[in-house]
Amino acid sequence: MDTETGHPGGVQGSPPFKQCHPNAPRSIPRSLLLTLPMFLWASLMFSRAFAARTAAPKIAALVTLVFTVSLFFLMMRTRRTYKWRRVFFVALGFLFPVGFIASLVALRGSMSIPIDQMIAGDTPFCFLAIPMMIVPAALTRTLIFPGSILPTASNPYAIAAMVALWLTATIVLGKGWCSFACFFGGLEEGFAAIRRKAVIRDIHPSLRLVPWGVLAGIVLLSAATLEPTYCSWLCPFKAVTEFSEIRSAQTALQFGIFSTLFAGLVVVLPVLTRKRTQCTFLCPFGAFQSLFNKTSIFDIRVDRERCADCVTLCSGACPTLSMNPQSIAAGGTLMSCMKCGACVDVCKKGAAVWHVKGTPLSVRPETARLLYLYAAWGFATMFGGSIIANSVETIIGFFA
Amino acid sequence: MKRIVPILAYTAAALTIVAVILSPFVLMGWFVRGVAALGLRTDPVYSGGEAAYAIPKSGYRIIVNRPVVPKSLLRAGPTFVQIAWEPASALPARIGDEVDVDHDGRPDLVARFAVPRDRTAQLQADVTSLSPRVASMRGIARQSFTSAIVRVGDRIVLRVPLADLKRPMGP
Repeated sequence: MDTETGHPGGVQGSPPFKQCHPNAPRSIPRSLLLTLPMFLWASLMFSRAFAARTAAPKIAALVTLVFTVSLFFLMMRTRRTYKWRRVFFVALGFLFPVGFIASLVALRGSMSIPIDQMIAGDTPFCFLAIPMMIVPAALTRTLIFPGSILPTASNPYAIAAMVALWLTATIVLGKGWCSFACFFGGLEEGFAAIRRKAVIRDIHPSLRLVPWGVLAGIVLLSAATLEPTYCSWLCPFKAVTEFSEIRSAQTALQFGIFSTLFAGLVVVLPVLTRKRTQCTFLCPFGAFQSLFNKTSIFDIRVDRERCADCVTLCSGACPTLSMNPQSIAAGGTLMSCMKCGACVDVCKKGAAVWHVKGTPLSVRPETARLLYLYAAWGFATMFGGSIIANSVETIIGFFA
Repeated sequence: MKRIVPILAYTAAALTIVAVILSPFVLMGWFVRGVAALGLRTDPVYSGGEAAYAIPKSGYRIIVNRPVVPKSLLRAGPTFVQIAWEPASALPARIGDEVDVDHDGRPDLVARFAVPRDRTAQLQADVTSLSPRVASMRGIARQSFTSAIVRVGDRIVLRVPLADLKRPMGP
């Protein structure tokens, strides 16, 4: 018997609910012990800020450290993932534009990026451009992005650095990037959490295939035009990050598209549907990242022995429509699962479980969860934590 | 085999934690060097292409790049050449230089622009054609990647569209 979960390791048949339900709180000392490695990791990550001469970076680092470590402790204590991850993720989503816009305004006085900065290679690289750059890079050996390849004093967010960061995250998280690292997804998740019940509930399941179409379209168009098409024409997050200076009807139209898509897919529809609609119905990077779920060692499985076939709970909780009756019947999620943990937390039978591929299902699912969370939260602390700390420092600087 | 596969799987899962721990100290550096070692470069439409030759002047020099031919299938932009004056801090208040863009020994254009001391001031250039390669243009500012005059660090960069592509470039 697994003492962590009460799961009878390898025993056939479904144990009583009380025994298998994974949400019984863990003891405080044990939770603290499990949190200790994350505390040490976060302390190491923010050590440079603690050594700063001014107070603002130190305070920002301390706030972020307490925030991330406390959330991890709560994950350990409650054995729930989604709720606490969402707090972090929404904070990341809403704080990222604060720090980023402040740095843009300090650097160039505006959110718009002028052509001289693009010619200078000073455009910060965004990971959303990665799928569009692969084919042109293979065909022409050039990168179709107006940034520098190696970090420079004027552009630390260079292409190689950001690609390296993405590669690390992809190895560790697979599509978990979308629920632990993507600083854009947090905005939608925040808006999706506003209402307690969805106004729009009937969403045609085929709509979740749209990102694949968008991905195919932008990859082909980018190869044909040698321009990052999605960044130029479709990215809703340009509305809250940076966009080409509006100097013509074309750039004005582009900004209009960004703003409309942002308002519709990132604000209004998430509020009405309680889903991450931009991620589910548009984001080509999310579709691209889904491919790496195949290489990730972690996944979410449904234990058919325990599943009560209620279907609506887990599939209804999924923010990206990545569970449906067919996938549940097949014992898992769709390829687009971003491993956020919503289905695991909501399942009353403990049938939806974290899983390490190649291991028997439902044997030590909490071990699988812990392994995943140490990796995912470790990355989130390093990457998202630094973004949060930077934004908190900006806010402190604004009020000081 | 039944026992080995789960052991390997848990080992791989544990290695993801090791990867995270190593990432800021080792892995990121490896990946950055790996990406850089691929020999990729920024699209010349953005970077302006490679330098072809330099024209020395008194106190400053003009760098003429190789012409950039956009290779796009769908977006047929004009070929352009990037010309840079550096260091910008040593330039006279007004520039009026003849430039040989194809390195055939004969000037192809005259570029005229004022050099304001205020680094944030908007630049504007006029180009007078001296050969069929270049069309005369007035009021070049920051229109597009193929027609622009901007400050980039301590350089003033002028991009001029080219024509008459059938004639071979170079001496």
